[in-house]
Amino acid sequence: MSQTDRFTFNGVDIQYEEGQSIAAALINDEKRELRSTRFGGEPRSIFCGIGICFDCIVVINGVGNQRSCLIQAQPGMKVESGQ
Amino acid sequence: MQNPDAIVIGAGIVGASAALSLTNAGMKVLVIDRGAVSSGTTGAGEGNILVSDKDPGPELTLALRSRDLWFEMQEDVGDSFELEAKGGVVVARRDDAPLMKLAIEQSKHGVITQKLDHTSLHEVEPYLHPDLTSGVLYPQDAQCQPMLAAAHIIRIVMQRGGALISQAKVLRVHVADGRVQGVETTRGTFKAPIIVNATGTWAGEIAELAGSHLPIAPRKGFILVTEPTKKYIFHKVYDSDYVANVASSDADLQTSTVVEGTRSGTILIGASRERVGFDGSMNYQILRTLAAQATSLFPVLRDVQLLRAYRGFRPYAPDHLPVIGEDALVKGLWHSAGHEGAGIGLAPGSAALITDAILGRESFMDSTPFSPTRFVKVSV
Amino acid sequence: MIIVIGAGPAGLAAAEAASRNGTEVALIDSAPRMGGQYWRHRKSVTGYKSPRADLLFSKIAAVESITHISEATVWSAEREGDIFKINYLQGGVENSLVGEKVIVATGAYDRALPFPGWDTPGSMTPGAAQSLLKGHGVLPGQKIIVAGTGPFLLPVATGLAEAGADIVGLFDANSPLRWALSPRALISNLSKFFELIYYARLLNKYRIKPQFGRAVTALKDGVATVSKVDSHFSITGQQATLPTDVVAVGWGFLPDLTLGGLLVFKQKVDSDGTAIFSVDNFQLSSQRDIWIAGEATGIGGADLSLIEGEIAGLAASGQKISPTLLRKRFRKQLFADALKRSYPVQDGWRGWLSVGTTICRCEEVKLQEISDSVSELGAEDSRTAKLFTRAGMGLCQGRMCSRNVSDIVSGITGCAVTDTDRIAGSNRPIAEPISLGQLSDGNIRL
Repeated sequence: MSQTDRFTFNGVDIQYEEGQSIAAALINDEKRELRSTRFGGEPRSIFCGIGICFDCIVVINGVGNQRSCLIQAQPGMKVESGQ
Repeated sequence: MQNPDAIVIGAGIVGASAALSLTNAGMKVLVIDRGAVSSGTTGAGEGNILVSDKDPGPELTLALRSRDLWFEMQEDVGDSFELEAKGGVVVARRDDAPLMKLAIEQSKHGVITQKLDHTSLHEVEPYLHPDLTSGVLYPQDAQCQPMLAAAHIIRIVMQRGGALISQAKVLRVHVADGRVQGVETTRGTFKAPIIVNATGTWAGEIAELAGSHLPIAPRKGFILVTEPTKKYIFHKVYDSDYVANVASSDADLQTSTVVEGTRSGTILIGASRERVGFDGSMNYQILRTLAAQATSLFPVLRDVQLLRAYRGFRPYAPDHLPVIGEDALVKGLWHSAGHEGAGIGLAPGSAALITDAILGRESFMDSTPFSPTRFVKVSV
Repeated sequence: MIIVIGAGPAGLAAAEAASRNGTEVALIDSAPRMGGQYWRHRKSVTGYKSPRADLLFSKIAAVESITHISEATVWSAEREGDIFKINYLQGGVENSLVGEKVIVATGAYDRALPFPGWDTPGSMTPGAAQSLLKGHGVLPGQKIIVAGTGPFLLPVATGLAEAGADIVGLFDANSPLRWALSPRALISNLSKFFELIYYARLLNKYRIKPQFGRAVTALKDGVATVSKVDSHFSITGQQATLPTDVVAVGWGFLPDLTLGGLLVFKQKVDSDGTAIFSVDNFQLSSQRDIWIAGEATGIGGADLSLIEGEIAGLAASGQKISPTLLRKRFRKQLFADALKRSYPVQDGWRGWLSVGTTICRCEEVKLQEISDSVSELGAEDSRTAKLFTRAGMGLCQGRMCSRNVSDIVSGITGCAVTDTDRIAGSNRPIAEPISLGQLSDGNIRL
């Protein structure tokens, strides 16, 4: 059984297994809506899954436009919905 | 279109503005472009409408009037190109005496200026580096989206009886008895007694086709575009090195710092000037220099990501003044070209000068300093 | 030293081949593990013929002269005379690799077509579903529809089913009868029948019945609309609505040509309308000392990528290339051409759109805005349409929408998309976002 740990998403604790991306952990926890778009406020989720489309962007520890499908979850990360 | 009253070659911002001005004066105008609307330098610009970067003189006079005409054009065409009087802030990096001296001179010639000390500088631009202590605010500086502007202006021209033929390269300019007759293009031949050459960086080529000459050359520039980000920058901000670079003829690379935000949330960063002909290749060293300069003004930008960079070729004449007026040799051939990095800002003013001159009426200023005849050497 | 960019099948094969005569190789890739997209894994690769992947990984790991630089994203590449400088970001810091030869093996990404609802949560590419499952051990949802066209749908659907998902439907817009157009390719690649049987068994095991001539043409509130389409992909009217958690829809692949564009490779347009790089018989690009292998020379699948990689690796390291290897590549190229014939993407998808359908996801540009830019502002080509609407100017820099915008503009103007347009769609000076701070810190002139 892999190591599990936690990060927060919009204040909520999310469990993840070591090596999982932030997006994978969120989807596994049924937090499908990762952000809302900056003009229309439309909900978006993972789309290409490999870092090409930038739809999965979130804010990590205050830094925006981070591709959650690429970045491995780390303990204590503060993740928030992006725009 | 049969028998237009005038042909405008070039569907960039300068050509579009000229076409609108001539149309509003009652003419039937045909606009021709070898590509699509805004496919030249207009498609590679930032949309600057500045009075702040000009020394008192004919160009400043033109810029002031042209700036106001931009707002009149918005009334006419509609609020469809993000025109915004956001104002400019020029920051002095070191000795602020040259900047202050310039500002005082400018204010005597119709430019509104406001001296900024450390406190007021950081009030108008809170994210500026704390070590910067002095600057000038120019409320008249404005911004637009130039590609949209040219497109909407041409749309209005067409609504008012004008026409556009794109993807039509001019092959010949027909001249008879020292007078222009029309043009032959890859999509047809068109006759007109008046031709306006608004082809920017390529204006010299059109002049050659007419048997004349215009010494307009390209000056390459890069622009960096960042990811969309929180609003960190509230005006067009640049350092006082920008002014010196614009006026210089140095062949070497020159860079200065120009930073501004856009409606879509991205930040545009410039500016570089090089005389490398039409070599469009990427130069990462220049990108790094521009990034370093921008982050030295706004440290917060260090964490903002670059998404893309593009380049364009500014058209310039040896004396760095635009060329506006009737050709020295060929009657009926009018030039409105060579606006260097100020094409957007000067477009409607140039259009007004050209229209007045074509119609033989007095204009808001004497356009002699811009005349193409200034390049003609008198042979002994 | 040879720098190999990309550690998918092509890059791995290139690195291994080049190292056979002791040549130093730096293999750089953005993922933590080797394998690229095709062999994405957590502990070991699974799926058809997966042992060959693990074999290649261990071969490479055992070779001293190959250095694997992982989690490194290449953002630009420069050439200074005989030297290449590959600039990359790793751990938030910029670094460079310097070498005399380069092999570009950057692979491809799923091609997506817009439809109403394609931008809502639950809609993704098959590659995303595959990545979540194989790379992260996560199912994207419980009820999944896999659709689009192409052989990739098979491993995705069966892989998800093996992991416990309920595959609500597997829909390919093309008819399998199209394979009859390529008898020569089938005869030269008889081994492919075993692969087909492998998947047929899995489909049977999980009771997945593939349906052809069908496409997902809308998604709303957890309900997918599946339409019958003709050979032009136009909807012929019969529909089914299926509740589902996920629709994983993909239409083949597009190579990412950005790095090659930076290095000014000659490009051309493949028979399926995809812009690709031109290479000679030994995978050499139009620039000396740079070879290209894999999907960037034309979408062809893993078998072809492995062989192209091997040829490029041998060529770059000055080793002999056997005629057998070249013949093998030829057979695989036949198969790649057959794939293009069997799974074309037809223009009828333009009829699935409504005026409010998002076309550029990053900048939220809808179909209406693109049509207006043509009808009202006189945009005659996609470049102009993009300048007027901002389509393609967002974070993904047009990777997802550029081709679609070109096809939409073409549909409105009636003018065919030019090769120039196809090729221009992939020209970007920055391959990956880099912060202004990182960019500045690399500035040598102060």
